[in-house]
Amino acid sequence: MEKEKILETLKAELKVLIAKNYKDLKPQLEKDFNAFLEASKEKLERWTVLYSSGNLTNEEFEWLLKSQLDLTSLQALQAAGISKIKLNTIKNNIIEMIIKIITDIIILRIK
Amino acid sequence: MKPFISKYFIFLLTLLFLLNSCNSTRTALFDQYSYEKTIELKVETANLINKASTPYSCNKQEIENLRLKIEKLIEYEKNKPYNEISFEMWKALNDNERNLLAGFFKDWEQKETESKSFIIESKNQILEAFDLLIQYEIKKDKESKDNLLQIINLKN
Repeated sequence: MEKEKILETLKAELKVLIAKNYKDLKPQLEKDFNAFLEASKEKLERWTVLYSSGNLTNEEFEWLLKSQLDLTSLQALQAAGISKIKLNTIKNNIIEMIIKIITDIIILRIK
Repeated sequence: MKPFISKYFIFLLTLLFLLNSCNSTRTALFDQYSYEKTIELKVETANLINKASTPYSCNKQEIENLRLKIEKLIEYEKNKPYNEISFEMWKALNDNERNLLAGFFKDWEQKETESKSFIIESKNQILEAFDLLIQYEIKKDKESKDNLLQIINLKN
């Protein structure tokens, strides 16, 4: 239940972030990051558990999240071909947001 | 004589069309060497990452040997025609600034040792990237076979 809550909060917060800061790219970004969250669901849940139990550090958790984005871009490269791939700088903001949301939820739960 | 010429003409046209389609998709043919080498490197990588709980300095030689093998394969992939996608995937895997294989080695070097949980999770991520490369190579084989079958079927 807690895991599902984290993913739902992530989705909602990301929606707000995209609507606020990346208006022009909104439809594509929302689609991309929903797909990202959906494809990464199991891993995100597992990493969140490991992170909250202290088995992964903040840096390790961040490293894994970024590796998941890199894997997603490899999958896209395979599927869509080079011309359609745009490596964006937005990725770091999104990663920071995901980490912040997960950290906040964990801190709230501990309190 | 005439029907034979027209049949032959249609066959040639279709063949030209197919060759042109192959060109426009710009996909290299399946390569047994790339396929075998990628599997070999995947296994070596997995064994090496398992050692990441021991100091980087103790494994430095082995890491450099693996990196050299990877660089050789990347050079091979780079020079194959219509092979941009495989080449880009290999470059990503070997990019220090990304969080895949080269990024893992960089992290290991900085920390000297890695934690058990991180080794397990990051190894899964890196091996998944190798799997994508292997699957992509296999896909090329299927495409080559399909194209060949189309030509054979048209001939009959």
